[in-house]
Amino acid sequence: MMDSLDALALDAPKHGLAGPRSEPTAMPVTEIVPDHKLVAFDAASVWQYRGLLWVLILRDLKVLYRQTALGACWAIAQPLFTVAIFTVIFGHFAKIPTDGAPYALFAGSAIILWTYFAESVRRSATGLVTEAELIRKIYFPRLVIPLATVVSPMVDFAIALVVMLVLMLGYGVVPSWHIVFAIPTLAVTAMLALGVSLWLGPVNVRFRDVKHTLPFLIQIWMYASPIVYAASIVPDSVRWVYALNPMVGLIEAFRFSILGGTAPDLFALAVSVTVASVLLVTGLIFFQRMERSFADVI
Amino acid sequence: MSMAISVQDIGKQYWRASRATHENSLREALIEGARGLLTRKSEARPSKEGFWALKDVSFGIKHGENVGIIGMNGAGKSTLLKLISRIAAPTTGSIRLVGRVGALLEVGTGFHRELTGRENIFLYGSILGMHRHEIAEKFEAIVEFSEIGDFIDMPVKRYSSGMYVRLAFSVAAHLEPDILLLDEVLAVGDYTFQKKCIDFARRLQTKGSTILLVSHNMFSVKTMCERVIYIKNGRVAFDGPTDEGLRHYEQDSYLAPPNWFRPETGSPLEIQGIEILDESGAPRTLFRSGERMRVRLAYTTSGAVPRTHLRVSVTRADDLLCCNYSSLIDGVSLSAFGPDGTVEVMTGPLALTAASYTVSVNVVGKDAGRPLAARLGPRFHVADPDLDPDVFGVFHEAGTWHHAPGGA
Repeated sequence: MMDSLDALALDAPKHGLAGPRSEPTAMPVTEIVPDHKLVAFDAASVWQYRGLLWVLILRDLKVLYRQTALGACWAIAQPLFTVAIFTVIFGHFAKIPTDGAPYALFAGSAIILWTYFAESVRRSATGLVTEAELIRKIYFPRLVIPLATVVSPMVDFAIALVVMLVLMLGYGVVPSWHIVFAIPTLAVTAMLALGVSLWLGPVNVRFRDVKHTLPFLIQIWMYASPIVYAASIVPDSVRWVYALNPMVGLIEAFRFSILGGTAPDLFALAVSVTVASVLLVTGLIFFQRMERSFADVI
Repeated sequence: MSMAISVQDIGKQYWRASRATHENSLREALIEGARGLLTRKSEARPSKEGFWALKDVSFGIKHGENVGIIGMNGAGKSTLLKLISRIAAPTTGSIRLVGRVGALLEVGTGFHRELTGRENIFLYGSILGMHRHEIAEKFEAIVEFSEIGDFIDMPVKRYSSGMYVRLAFSVAAHLEPDILLLDEVLAVGDYTFQKKCIDFARRLQTKGSTILLVSHNMFSVKTMCERVIYIKNGRVAFDGPTDEGLRHYEQDSYLAPPNWFRPETGSPLEIQGIEILDESGAPRTLFRSGERMRVRLAYTTSGAVPRTHLRVSVTRADDLLCCNYSSLIDGVSLSAFGPDGTVEVMTGPLALTAASYTVSVNVVGKDAGRPLAARLGPRFHVADPDLDPDVFGVFHEAGTWHHAPGGA
C-alpha cells in the first residue's frame, strides 16, 4: 500500500499535478555569527551573486563609454599615444635594442598587457571606497566589487589588442600560432591583479592615502618591468632578483605570444604563476577577514 | 509556528579610540606604529575604549509577524538592522534567519545617475538580490507601479526626485522576500507615497511575509506592527504589544532633546516640564477641532538668562511639522527670568485635522541663533468625525462662500 502511494506521489508531477502547496517550500537558512575562523571563504555566496557581478561590470562599461565624448576611442587612443611617445623617445632617441622587432610593436605588445594590469589594480584597489554607499546600506559578498573591476578592463584590453594586430599587419608582421599563449598569460595577469587588489582594497578602506600612493607605485612597477626595454638587457648577475617581479615573466610571455622571438624565461614565468597564486590565496583570506568590518569603517 | 528571525545575545562593539587617533591615514598609522616600537607598549597605545552599540539583545520573530523597532536616536536600532541584514558583523551572539531576506535600508542606494531607468531597474534589482530573469519577468509590473512611463529610457539624472524615489521603491516592492527589513524608508517622500509604501507592506503581510521595521514614525509603526521592540541604550527595554511599547517610549521621550538638538553644557536655562491644558487651564490631551489649547512650560535658571524667544512647535505623528507659535513673530520679548517660572502660550482655535500631534519647545537667545534649550513635550490628539488628514490635509478653516447662479 505504502509503495503504491509513494509511486503515485512520484508520478504526480509528470501528469502536471503539482501536489497541494499547503506545505511551505524549503526556505533558505542564514546563520550570522561573529567571525573567528581564519579561513572563511564563502564561494557559494559569491556564485549566488554572480548576476550582480555581471550587472556591475556592464554598469562600469556603460558609464565609462557613455560619459566620454570619444567613447570607445579612448581605449584605442590611450595605448596608441603611449606607444607613439615611447617609440620616439626610447626607440628613436635612446635606440633601445628590441631583439629585432620594430620598436612600436615591441613596446605596444607590452603596453596593452601592462595597461590592463595597472587599470585593474587602480580600479579595484579604490573600488570599495567608490562603492562605499552600497557597502553601508546593502549586503552582498564584497568580493564582487574587486572581481568586477578586474574583469571590466578586459574590454579595453580586447579593443587595444585588435588595434595592436592591425598595427602589426601594417608592419608586415603576422602572429604565429603562439598567440594562443596570450590567453593563459592574460588569465595569470588577471589573477595577479586580483591578488594585489584583494590586499590593497581593504587597506584603502582603512587608510585612504593608499589611493594617492598607488599611482607612484604603479609607475615604479612599470619601469621595473620589461616594457620600454627587453628583459635581456638586464645584467645576468641581477637577473634572478629582477625576475622576482611577477610582471617580468608575464610581459615577456605575452610579447612572445604575439610577436614571437626568443621564448620567455621559464624561471620568470614560474615566479609569476607562483606569486600570482600566493597573492590570490592570501588575498582572499585577508579580504574575507576584513570585509565584515567594511561597513563599520567605510 | 517556526521562527523567521532568531536573535541570540547579540552585541556590537565599536572602537571609538582607534578611529580617533589614527584617523584615516596610512602615514599617521605608520608613524604611530613606529612610535609604538620605540616607546613602551603601555604608553604608546591609548586604552581602546570599546563602545557597545548593542548589548545582550535577544528576541524571536515568527513567520508572518510584523514588528516595529523603536528607540531614540543612537539607541542602536539601525545597528540592529545592519546586523540582521548582514551589512555589519556582530561582535557577540548569533542570528538565524529562515527565508529569503530583503533589506531596504535606503531607497535607491545603488542607482546610477548616468544610466537609464530601464538599466537602473536591472542594476538595482540585482543589488537587492533578484535574479536577472526574475527582474525581466517583473519588468512591466515595475514600470507600471512606478508611473514613470516614457521616461524609462532616460538617464535617471533627468528625473525629478519624486520619480527617482518612485522607481527605486517599485523595484524594491517587487522583491517579495520572506523577510523584509525596512529602515526609515517609509519616511521618504510625501504623505501619498508613504501610504503607497504602507499598502505595499500590507500586501506583503497578507502573503505571509515577516516585516521588521525601524522607524521614528510612530504612525507607520502603529498602522503596520502589532508588536514593537523598544531599544534603549543598546538593550531591549520593552518587547510586546505596540500600544504598550509606544507608551513606554513616549514616557521616556517626554522632555528628551529633539533629534536635531545638541545640548550644550552650561546653558543658563533648563526646561523642567511641558504641559498641555485646555482653555480653562485643566490638563487635557484630546481636543476637538476649533478648541483652544494652552501649552505651559516650567523652567529653572542658573545664572543670568539673556532676553529670549520661545517657539512651540506642533509635529504630526508622521514627523510632519505642522505649525509654530513664536514669541518672536508675535513681537513678545521674554526677559527678567527668576530662578524658576512658567511661560504659557494659548493657541487660536485649533485648525488641525484629526490626528496625533507632539508639542516641542525651543528656547532661543535673542542675539545668538543657537537654542538655549529644546525639549519634546507631550502628545495630544485632535478628534473630528469629518476632518480626515488624507482628505483635508494639515489644517482646515471655514471659508466664506458666495454663489451667483445664472452668470456673474
